[in-house]
Amino acid sequence: MLNPMRSLTAWLFLAPALALLAVFSFWPVAFGSLLAFTDYSLIRETHWVGLDNFRYIFDNEMFTTGLKNSLLFLLMVPFVQIGALSLAVLVNNQLPGIRYFRAAFYVPVVTTVSVVGIMWGFMFHEQGALNYVLMTMRLVGAPVGWLSNDNLALFAIMFVTLWRGLGWYMVMYLAALQAVPTDMQEAAILDGANRWQRFWKITVPMLRPTIMICSVLSVLAALKAYQEVDVLTQGGPMNSTFTGLYYAYDQGLKHLKLPRALAASFVMSIFCIGIALLCLRYIKPKHR
Amino acid sequence: MKTLGHYLLLCAIAVVCVFPFWWTLVTALSTEGNIFAFPPTFWPKQPSFDNFIEVFNAIPIWSFFRNSVFIALCTVFWKLALCSAAAYPLARMHFKGRKLVFGLILATLVLPSEVNFLVNFITVTKLSLVDTYTGVILPNVVTAVAILLLKQAFEEVPQDLIDAARVDGASEWTIFSKIMLPLIAPWLATVGILTAVEAWNEYIWPSIVMSKPDEFPLSVGVLYLRGTFGSSTRVIAAGTVLTILPTLAAFLFTQRFFMRGMDGAVK
Amino acid sequence: MKPKFTPYFETLVKNYEAGNPGVKVEWVDFPWDIIQTKLVTRIVAGTPPALVNLNVPWADEFARDGLLAPVDALLGDARPRYLASTLEDLTFNGKTYGFPMYSNVAVIAYNTQIFKAAGIPHAPRDLDEQLLFARRIAARTGKAGLCPALSKIDGLMMQQGLAVIKDGKAVFNSPAHIALIAKLAETYKDGGLLKDALFAEDNFPAAIDAYKGGRLGMLLAPPTAVKRIESDAKDIYAITDVAPAPLGPTGIADGGWLVHFAVPKNVDAKLLPAIGKFARYLTNDANQLAFAKQASVYPAMAQAANDPFFTTVPPGAGAAEKAVSAGAVSMPHSHTLYVAGITDYDELRRYLVKAVEAGVTGKQDVKQALDQAVAIWNKKLAAQRSR
Repeated sequence: MLNPMRSLTAWLFLAPALALLAVFSFWPVAFGSLLAFTDYSLIRETHWVGLDNFRYIFDNEMFTTGLKNSLLFLLMVPFVQIGALSLAVLVNNQLPGIRYFRAAFYVPVVTTVSVVGIMWGFMFHEQGALNYVLMTMRLVGAPVGWLSNDNLALFAIMFVTLWRGLGWYMVMYLAALQAVPTDMQEAAILDGANRWQRFWKITVPMLRPTIMICSVLSVLAALKAYQEVDVLTQGGPMNSTFTGLYYAYDQGLKHLKLPRALAASFVMSIFCIGIALLCLRYIKPKHR
Repeated sequence: MKTLGHYLLLCAIAVVCVFPFWWTLVTALSTEGNIFAFPPTFWPKQPSFDNFIEVFNAIPIWSFFRNSVFIALCTVFWKLALCSAAAYPLARMHFKGRKLVFGLILATLVLPSEVNFLVNFITVTKLSLVDTYTGVILPNVVTAVAILLLKQAFEEVPQDLIDAARVDGASEWTIFSKIMLPLIAPWLATVGILTAVEAWNEYIWPSIVMSKPDEFPLSVGVLYLRGTFGSSTRVIAAGTVLTILPTLAAFLFTQRFFMRGMDGAVK
Repeated sequence: MKPKFTPYFETLVKNYEAGNPGVKVEWVDFPWDIIQTKLVTRIVAGTPPALVNLNVPWADEFARDGLLAPVDALLGDARPRYLASTLEDLTFNGKTYGFPMYSNVAVIAYNTQIFKAAGIPHAPRDLDEQLLFARRIAARTGKAGLCPALSKIDGLMMQQGLAVIKDGKAVFNSPAHIALIAKLAETYKDGGLLKDALFAEDNFPAAIDAYKGGRLGMLLAPPTAVKRIESDAKDIYAITDVAPAPLGPTGIADGGWLVHFAVPKNVDAKLLPAIGKFARYLTNDANQLAFAKQASVYPAMAQAANDPFFTTVPPGAGAAEKAVSAGAVSMPHSHTLYVAGITDYDELRRYLVKAVEAGVTGKQDVKQALDQAVAIWNKKLAAQRSR
């Protein structure tokens, strides 16, 4: 039932948040997108250059590989989501000491990204811990160049991103699991349903909105991945681990070639929007 | 027996998750031995707190810590306040323009924000917020993720509760603050802790906005340990541990807000 | 710089203010990681610092983007006192862009135990010996011998007297270049080069970590790094010895790394003379010497560089002390090797590194890889010229 008083109240609730979003999210993106069509260089005069920046980046192997890799990152999403949900289920109980396990799974999320880089760099070393374990267990014959082999490096990085993300989504699934009313579960037990059936027929459907949101967030995060590249390989070996946004970050923050960085960002945005729309089309969230 | 299996599985996964932090901790506590020996050491040799003491001597860690706490708490408070306020009408009220607003908010989710810092810095300068904590906090207070999550949380609340309250003549504000917010407490806690961690670890933006080193948060402050001169891997490790521990402690502490009673829980 | 150098800078500022009433100097110290971003944002906001600490590659990019002011006028008569090589490194397009502060040069640290096991009698005297020893170390001890910074292959080529660019065209596919890369490839194949992070943008952390872990035979590092070995890995430090870094045929020592003070472009012009005066004070002989002694680096002033501190070795010196004098030997020959003056150089460099990586790891034939990279370079250089 629409009434003007209601509308006004609604807008009042929304106003502060929208104002901040407008100033700190929309404006930079709008202005930045505009700058992508110029040769803005901080000090000198700025001129309109049309599609020059875009032509440049598409002619650049680092960006095109980056774009492709960002799309490859999407492969990660199902693993992250299933993994996080499983972890949440595993810790959604009152076993003694369970909160320490929850904290343990959350540690990758709070570990500063530079430490993540140092440690995983160490693990993935040719003479690092991972190869040591694999060779001791006779799973491989010779040290594997996880980060130095251009066919493997991207997947190594994807693994680290997955490792960092599990805890984050676990926390969300945990909150969602907490909200599942227990009376339905009890009724189902009385009806003779076993654990597996209860999980699939009751829990999962109730979790549906959270799964939707988390999946979309995960997809967008995959497309926007760049931090792990920065701390582990900086784009190598042989430019094989660039991602779209890492290219933007590298050009923008390290080489201060802002128009190009913004052009790359712009292109990535288009992809994000496109894929997000696809997601929304296929998995229309149900409003009660 | 099944419980044992459960624990073993948990332990195995925990090891994979925790080892980098463990290694950093071991390095921070060691004073002897070769950090980079291979196979790697998993237990500190000659453990002591020397490196931690060195961190306290090298940088004004209490100031940094205090600044970080301030920033984190303010960010969490304002974020929860403003984002829940925004999420409520989107979830539970019908009004003109609802779809549009929601779409716009989703749009910000999709747009990469890494390169926004420069334009935001110009904005912050124009608003005379440089070198203030407000300047650091304000841009991060409203995010689409938080609004989305809280919106979904509100949607879970049974409609009849709201209808009853409205029938009773309660104002929207009363419904919001006295009924809705308490009902979504676990989600508030979730968003709260995620926000706190993010605010705690952020270093690029605060380093740009603040210009007095004494006012830097911890995430920036520890970078001083990594100077070209006199950087010791062990001291850096100690600094890193000191940065991570508070967030872990906060996480452990807020667990009770997530986990409502499991009475009647399934075996 | 904090907190180790806080007394140094505070004394310096106090003395200057005492001698120059009416002048207020503020020293603010930021972590190296954020300096670039901070400088840029300050410039954009219109509140740039008067002087900023930079290194040569950053200075080159900033100067080219028009963010730095030339300081020829401000150097004035102090100019001849600086080491000529340092001023050369800071001169782009005929203008100088900084007040040299200190430099670093590499020495070669080597693990005496590994050397003995591999039957190597002395420190390598040039690149060929480095590679040869590396192969021997791999053959006899199974450990890697060397971890050259191949992401800076352009610097290495230049040090060996092979130009990367001539007359605006890429020339790194000449037979001499191919031979150099082929030598590296052979050493790689024999396990002489540390495989991990060999081509990383900054492989020094990996190299020094491997050395500290006893997995690397030789390490090219500045004396400051040798000190870190002392604190992080005493057992390896005890068996470490140092020698001056091998000079290439150009007589240029490896690892030159100049740090200087630059002046951002939009600083208030009225302040420039005062800035110049302070900068000259900041980087004068006495101050540079004091700093260099404390920091284990080398001054960029000729007189200070010849101070006996750097040239004499105290009795009973450990590797770190020896490193200082070993480095002093190389200092006059030190240059920051960097191909300056080309737009988007970093992108071009990455193509070169990729080609070298393909050739060295055996993924592609060396000549083919280099030819491909040369083609890409020339195409992009031509496009740049036509803009």
